[in-house]
This record gives sequence, C-alpha cells and structure tokens, in this order.
Amino acid sequence: MAAIPREKPSRIAQARAGFAQYKADVKERGKAFFPYAMWHDTIMSLVVVFTIIGLAAIWKWSAWGPHHDPTQKGLLGPIVDPPADPGTTSFVPRPDWYFYFLFYLLRIFKWPESVFLGTIGVPTIALVLLLGLPFLDRRLERRPSARPVAMVAGVLTILSMGILTWKGATAKEALASEVIQDVPRWIQQENLPPAAVPGAKLFATAGCTACHTYAGSGGSNLGAPDLTNIGSRNLGIQFQINHLKCPSCVNPGSPMPKFASLGEQRLHQLAVFLESSKGTH
Amino acid sequence: MATTRRQPTKAQIRREKVEELVIYPIDWLEERSGLVGGIRYFLFRNVPSDINWMQTLGSAALTAFLVQAITGVILAMYYVPSAATDPATGKPVAWESIVNISDNLTLGWLVRGMHKWGASVFIILMFLHMGRVFLFGAYKYPRELNWIIGVLILLTGMLEGFTGYLLPWDQTAYWATVVGINLNGTAPILGPWLAQFLRSGQEIGIETLPRFYSLHMLILPGGIIALITLHLYLVVRLGVTSPPWSKEAAGGEPVEADEPARRPGLTRPVPRTANGTAMQAEPGGRD
Repeated sequence: MAAIPREKPSRIAQARAGFAQYKADVKERGKAFFPYAMWHDTIMSLVVVFTIIGLAAIWKWSAWGPHHDPTQKGLLGPIVDPPADPGTTSFVPRPDWYFYFLFYLLRIFKWPESVFLGTIGVPTIALVLLLGLPFLDRRLERRPSARPVAMVAGVLTILSMGILTWKGATAKEALASEVIQDVPRWIQQENLPPAAVPGAKLFATAGCTACHTYAGSGGSNLGAPDLTNIGSRNLGIQFQINHLKCPSCVNPGSPMPKFASLGEQRLHQLAVFLESSKGTH
Repeated sequence: MATTRRQPTKAQIRREKVEELVIYPIDWLEERSGLVGGIRYFLFRNVPSDINWMQTLGSAALTAFLVQAITGVILAMYYVPSAATDPATGKPVAWESIVNISDNLTLGWLVRGMHKWGASVFIILMFLHMGRVFLFGAYKYPRELNWIIGVLILLTGMLEGFTGYLLPWDQTAYWATVVGINLNGTAPILGPWLAQFLRSGQEIGIETLPRFYSLHMLILPGGIIALITLHLYLVVRLGVTSPPWSKEAAGGEPVEADEPARRPGLTRPVPRTANGTAMQAEPGGRD
C-alpha cells in the first residue's frame, strides 16, 4: 500500500489521478467499442437518416400541388419562395428557425440605445461563456445532483433559448394587405394632411411595417423603433430621404435595408408622411 | 500446435494460399502506414461498460453531417450559383436551377430535401449532444479542449446554415441575408469590414451569391471537417465518460478535497489513518 499522503493533493493532482483511474478501470472492465457501442451508434444513425428522408418526403409531397407551382406552401413550407427581387421590399426578413432566438433578441433590445446589446453584445457574451465553460466550472465533481449551480444555469439557458425560439417562430407578421386597411385610422388619429396620404399607403405596403410599428399597426422586429411620432423630432424631409436611401450612412450601425430602389418620387412621399407623423391624439 | 506434421491435404494448401492472398495486402498496408493497427485500435478499444443511449448523440450528429456532405456534393453538380437573369424566362439562374433540381431531376427533390432538412437535424443533434456533455460534466479535465472544439463545430455549423440559406436566391433568402449582413455590420471595428466582404461591395449583388457559395461549400466545410477530425481524435484518445451517476463508473466518482467520501470502497479501497478513521477517498488511491 502506498504511503498515505499527509497533505491534501492539489486539484490538478487529483484530476490526473482520477483520469489514470478511469483509464485503468476502462482497460480492466470496459467493453469493446465494436460491436457493443457501435451497434447502438448504428441504430441511432439509421433513425437520423430515416427522419431526414421522412422530413424531405413530407416537405415535397405536401407542397407540390397539381399545378406544379414551386411556391405553393405545404406542411413544411414551400419548395422555394418567389425569386429574389431587390425591387420589392414588402418581404418580411426571416432567418432559418435556429436563428430565431437571435432574431427575437432584437425585439427586446430596441434601436438606438440598446440594439447593440441584441446584435453583438448578448451573443458575444454567450459565446465567450460557452467557450470558457470548462475554465469557469473547475470542480472535478461530475454528478448532476452535486452541481446545483451548473444545473440551474443549464436549465435557465435552455428555457430562455427555447422561449426566444418559440416567440420568434410565432411572432406576428405584418401583411401589407392587412396593414393597408389601417391607413384611414392613421389619418384620423395622427391628423395627417392630404399630402401625407400617398406616403402612408406606401408605408403600409412597401415592407416598412415588417419591422416598424406605427400607431399600433405592424410588427416590431430587428430592433426597429416605433414611428408613430417620428415627425415630432423635425428631422426634415431631406434627412428622411437620405436615411431611406442609405440608413447606415446616416445612422452608422443601422441594420435597416436600403430603400433607394423605390425612386425619388416615392421616397419623397414617404418622407412627407414620416415628417407629418407627430403622434396620435 | 501438434508436434508431428502430417502431409497437408490439397484443400488445406488451397486455403492457405487464399489466406495469404487476403493477408498480404493488409500486411503491406500496415507495414507502410500503420493504418490497420489504427483502425483496429479504434474498433476494439475499450469503452466504459455503463455507457448509455444518450452517448449516441455525437455519432448521430456525425451521421447528419455525412448526409449533408454527400447530398451537398450531389447538389453542387446541378446548382448554378448565378444571380444573373435568364433572358428566356426573366428569372434568376440560381433560382431556376433550384426549381429544376426539385422538379425535373430524378430524385432531385429527395437530395435537396435531405440537404435542407438535414441541416436542421444536424443543428438539433449538435445542441442535444452538447446538452448531454454538459449533463455528464464531460467537459471537465482532461476534456476541456474537446469542449472548445465542439463549440467551434457548432459555430461553423450555424455559419453553414447562414451561408446556405441564401443559395436558393428566393425572397426569403435574399431579405433574411440583407438584414443578417447588416446586423454583422453593426459590430465594432470588424463589423463593417466583414459586411463589405460578405456582400462583396456595398450592396448584395451579382457577386454576393458566388461568394456565399464558395464559403458554404469550400471554406466552411474544410474548416468543419478539420474540426470534426480533431474532435474524434480527442474522443478516441481521451475516452468516453461513464454516466456520472453510474454505480460502476470508470474512474469512480470524483471526491472533492474538502468533502468526505460518500461511497467508500465501491471502486477503490479507502485508506485508513493510524487512528482508524477513514481518510477522504482520493481518485487513484487504489494501487
């Protein structure tokens, strides 16, 4: 029998001894990877492949209608959406589902004060914490029952990501055909002059309300601010036009797409509408 | 072994010749590369006897990745990464090639469908695998580096998702990427440079699509394959952990220096001090 150590062994000495013990135990009473573990891996892999094939089949056969229209939606969405068109902006920007948690973070952090937290801040901190986990949790204990802090942190992380993903998936989309019906209410509530009406209709249909809210209409996305009383800031028609043409040139760091493709006349109409929006009464 | 040798029958001679034919190339390869021994070690190495079904999630994620690799190679034979407009139809070439793959090619829908849905399955399995490693505390010594590599694989996998999303060149793809790149652009210092690089200019245009295609099918897969290889090498080198709650866990349960032994004698004898009280069990205490 080895001499009984008089001092507490250091953490790393304990860790090394534990791993040496692990190696010895596995050698002595482990079982061969092939066939035992590999058999389980094979079954699981077959489940994975058949699940993927099943998803592909449901996607294809529920979407492809008798008219062979590839944009027709099935149980799992369309085969493909209409071709990309930089000219139409009435499309709601939506990432693949596994980015929904990031997407929804931007509803929580609003432009301009804290949107940086949603775009870069929180994801960067989360990534650094994830990479650094083995160095933050340096105890050798592995049993979940003896790691209450880690377990609570893990459950909270899963819950918050799950909720953000769910909220992102069920977020209400602002459809142009629905928002356009709100225009008369806007005119009344905001006391809009007749000159602002073409801009209001354009605002409802050109995709602005995919991200911006206005007098209770539209969906709030990607940190975009509410524009109900943007006009009370008196930024000026020319500022509004310049901003619509190139948002990030005027507001560095703005994630808003450029709307220069609308053309001078329509940009002017939009600018008049925005400058006339002094808030609801 | 018999000491007296009888004359071998014709059948025995024939059998020996066949055996030699099979063994010779294997020996040839082993002598020159050591690969056969490597594969033998990989297959017949011992793993803890108490591993459970949760520990198949890593190889399940690997399978999902292989599905992506194979279907991706096939798609690359038919997909055209061009945002130019087809003069005959007025539609973008890339979008048309996606419709062609899904509609006209034999089993094209299956290959594209598996690639599209396999991506989600791959991401889900990576997250589940990460959850399993977290639950088992398997990121602790000596597997810290493999945890970091795993997080980098997850990150690369999600970048694959981001770059692949644009390739069908449809409205969803286009507008999600416009905003996605703009969001990248908000990062300090590197952000605007990164956004400029991804777009290949100030706007998403004709050059953006080939750039995303190159990232998606050359650069990122190269990176992720290298990371997965390293990940697997470390799994084989360091071994798979036992479930920490297992009664016969390999390595026993770790006991903190300031904690009394909870289950002495299960995997190792508990050393006793001179006055007969049990010492704290120390990993590796067994000689």
